[in-house]
Amino acid sequence: MRTVLFASLRTYARRYAAAVVAVIAAVALIVVTNALTTATKAGLFAGIDAPFQNAVGAVDFPSEEVTEKYTEQGGWPIAASMQSVRSETKLLGQEIMVGAVSTEKRWQWQDLEEGRFPTAAGESVVDANAAKTNEVGIGDTLKVGTGESAVETTVVGLVDAPAMWSSPIYVTLPEMQGWEDQYVQTVMTATTGDEADGWLNTDDYLTELQTQLNKEVNVVAYMVLIFAFIALFVSVLVITNTFSILFAQRMRDFALLRAMGATKRQVLRSVRREALALGLLASLMGLAVGALLGWGIVALVRQLAETAPLGAVSFEWPWLVGAFVLGVLTTLVASWLPTRRLMRLSPLAALRPQEGFDVRGAGMFRIGLGVAVILAGVATIFVAVGWDDAQIGMLIVLLGCAVTFLGVMLLGPVLVPGLVRLAGSALATVAGSPAKLAAANAGRNPKRTAATAASLLVGVTLTTGVLTGMNTIRSATLDEMAAQHPIDLALQAESKPLEDSVLDDAKSVPGVDDAVAVPGAMASVEAGGKPVPVPVVAPPGGDIALRDLSVKPGTMVISPVAASAFVEDSFEASGEKVTLVVGDRSATVTLDVREIDGAPQISAATLRTLTEDPQTYAVWVRAEAGADPEDLAGTLGALAPDAELINGKGQRAWVELQLDVFTWAVIGLLAISVLIALAGIANTLGLSVLERGREHALLRALGLTKRQLRRTLAAEAVLLSAVAALVGTALGVFFAWGGSEILVGDIMPDATFKLPVLQLVGVVVAAGLAGLVSCVAPSKRATKVSPAEGLALD
Amino acid sequence: MTQTSVPTTTAAARAVRLTKTYGKGATEVHALRGVDLEIRRGAFTAIMGPSGSGKSTLMHCLAGLDRPTSGEVSVAGQPLENFNDDQLTIFRRENVGFVFQAFNLLPMLTAGQNIQLPLELAGKRVTDETRARAQMIADTLGIGQRLGHKPSELSGGQQQRVAIARALVTQPAILFADEPTGNLDSETSAEVLDHLRRSVRELGQTVVMVTHEASAAAYADEIVTVKDGRIEGVTR
Repeated sequence: MRTVLFASLRTYARRYAAAVVAVIAAVALIVVTNALTTATKAGLFAGIDAPFQNAVGAVDFPSEEVTEKYTEQGGWPIAASMQSVRSETKLLGQEIMVGAVSTEKRWQWQDLEEGRFPTAAGESVVDANAAKTNEVGIGDTLKVGTGESAVETTVVGLVDAPAMWSSPIYVTLPEMQGWEDQYVQTVMTATTGDEADGWLNTDDYLTELQTQLNKEVNVVAYMVLIFAFIALFVSVLVITNTFSILFAQRMRDFALLRAMGATKRQVLRSVRREALALGLLASLMGLAVGALLGWGIVALVRQLAETAPLGAVSFEWPWLVGAFVLGVLTTLVASWLPTRRLMRLSPLAALRPQEGFDVRGAGMFRIGLGVAVILAGVATIFVAVGWDDAQIGMLIVLLGCAVTFLGVMLLGPVLVPGLVRLAGSALATVAGSPAKLAAANAGRNPKRTAATAASLLVGVTLTTGVLTGMNTIRSATLDEMAAQHPIDLALQAESKPLEDSVLDDAKSVPGVDDAVAVPGAMASVEAGGKPVPVPVVAPPGGDIALRDLSVKPGTMVISPVAASAFVEDSFEASGEKVTLVVGDRSATVTLDVREIDGAPQISAATLRTLTEDPQTYAVWVRAEAGADPEDLAGTLGALAPDAELINGKGQRAWVELQLDVFTWAVIGLLAISVLIALAGIANTLGLSVLERGREHALLRALGLTKRQLRRTLAAEAVLLSAVAALVGTALGVFFAWGGSEILVGDIMPDATFKLPVLQLVGVVVAAGLAGLVSCVAPSKRATKVSPAEGLALD
Repeated sequence: MTQTSVPTTTAAARAVRLTKTYGKGATEVHALRGVDLEIRRGAFTAIMGPSGSGKSTLMHCLAGLDRPTSGEVSVAGQPLENFNDDQLTIFRRENVGFVFQAFNLLPMLTAGQNIQLPLELAGKRVTDETRARAQMIADTLGIGQRLGHKPSELSGGQQQRVAIARALVTQPAILFADEPTGNLDSETSAEVLDHLRRSVRELGQTVVMVTHEASAAAYADEIVTVKDGRIEGVTR
């Protein structure tokens, strides 16, 4: 039988193309994930011990007291704070991570590239890469922070630092301690510390840290693996289909073998070895492709972004072996059902003329089961929607989705050809007989059609589900962001009023649509016997902000951070009354604490009782729709160097970008499964073309032109993929509805279910177009055969 | 013994110095070695010969299914060699009908749909007139009651009669039948051959049948014998 095995592999190698592609893609995805993981870890771990050369030990995330205790004993905190940084001419960034650099040699762990380390407060070092991109050099003066805690510092050196601990700029510790939001990640100690504080010696600390980082990177890797498993699942469908079709075409060969004396077991073993050989080969190729891609991607990223913390790529044996074994197992599992069918084969089949293939559709049992399973799944989703606990509800929804999907797959042999016929008759009114023939062709082998569609269905359902779900989350999040940051950009005075020129300057900045001066005053509130200065503003009417910000008289809208200056528990302070004092006037206001940008807001009437002569305490800016918020912030920030720049548009854009990046990353990973499915469609069509050689020749003899034949095949591919896309979209939207109902009910009460209509239409159109592309090769092959040749085919 | 003396106006198809060679060098096979032939209009012609004689290749060339290596073919007065593939296809659609030995019908279409197929491929609207004609032909062939069935639900003889009906529905200038009884028992064969002869007698249809069975050829008006790529003789 070995001769038969090798001959079969040689003869049918090309027909296995889709199966091989599917396995390669899934295996390669796992290997690439591993490459990116190891490169990320290598990047993170490189020089991770650099700061610790002179440390006896360290405490992770120490409390303030612990930091103070060990710093006093000669230790050093690895501290950071997010601050705005300006050069003399422009705002370099609003939220730049600022690290701490020591004036003592033993804690100067950064690599000095140029200049020197600071010797006193007021001096700083800048990361060499950051200095290059921001055009900052030694001798420049930078202003770090805003308002009273802002510091001026002179750059005295350029440094390089390991990715794990690096910041674009490092100032001295005393300057940093004036900032409210500075945090200490680690405090290194000069002596042995107390275990009670969570102290570890340096070696233990570094080991612990690496273990932690490992876990964090691995969590991301495992998330990506989910997509590899989806790809593997789709592969199973594609491979099963490929084997089913191939074996159907080779039934006579197998029967002939049986007639010549091969036992059932021998035939079966030969075929299963064929599948094994295929799985081994494809998995090996997957490893190679994955390794090359992994190296390539990492090299590319390092080329494009020098600061990206990616180290050398290495591959871990468990991942490689796992990917390989999964690839082989997938192939074997997928071939199991089709090969089992060979057991029913009688030797006599070789002597009968080929009667075509197993064209039975779904039996009554399967239809009944499918309907029951779908009903159970839908019912489960509805139960979940009404569930109180969102987390459990989410799990139940997932279960309901999986069950419903299973039911649809069971019902596929009835559902898919039926829908194809329906769509085909609609298409036939436009495209004529090719569409009619195509619809009839799609209905002739219901199981094959359904299985082909199912592979695409998986990807489309998940894609549209994610798109719809994310659209709901996205619009709710963006609504919330718009409510929190209704002003595009604002310059907010912190201690003294803005100069009058600021408004006109702001209006003339390119990209600024309109600007308005906001009247306000410097008030004070009594807290703990001392007056606390609080700048207040009275929001003007008009349409400068996204929504009406006017405040009810007698109320002060204030952010929790600002309120914390004079109340105990700022988050619970809504409803409390405070008295604002300006000079000899005063007004009592009720606090309304919520997240707002800028200074506390009062009504125009309240402001009038506080002062007769309000001054400009803020300038609010509405940006043009297409303006880049970061560019605007840079220019506006330079207009009033002492004012705080608030970039609501930038924050909204940032959140939007995050949501988009997440959505498209998920879609990108799902695209691998969709591509595998399309390879499957091309393969099914290609194999069907081989099977129907004689039919095509007959049609050509009867007067079907080459173009009509191509159109018939194109119509079949498009009908199939469009139906799969439509069913998938319906399922995806339904599943997303179930998921978002739970979110709406519990986690995001403001969310409403929103359909991303354009994107969904895009998915269906893209699937149809992809179907069109997938039929190019098969239809080329079909039209190459002349009618006379085709008629001679067996 | 050629028939060049017959006026071309009465010829449904005509071949002049037709050769067809497959392969190159050592594997070269000469399927046709210079064939001159005229097919008389309104007659039932049988092309006879053992397998490998080149009779199928001759038919394929005459029907515009295959292109000769050299020589000329004209059907219904039209030379085929200047046609491109699309023009040839449309010419076939309008002027030539086919009945093959097996796999004659498209399995996914009903008998009725199979019969209407050539009209549909031509983009012609199915009118009452064409439907009536299809029904008339089907009734004549005794399959009028079976039009709603799929080919797999029909007997071999019924399938061949559907194929004949399909070939006749476009009123082609010439109908080619390639071993139409090859898969049938003798009784059914006789029926099918009888139908072919009746279409010649009653409808004035030109029919060319390729066969290797003398009993089938006996139904024809003319018998062209082919051997080793040459015409050996013509009997009337």
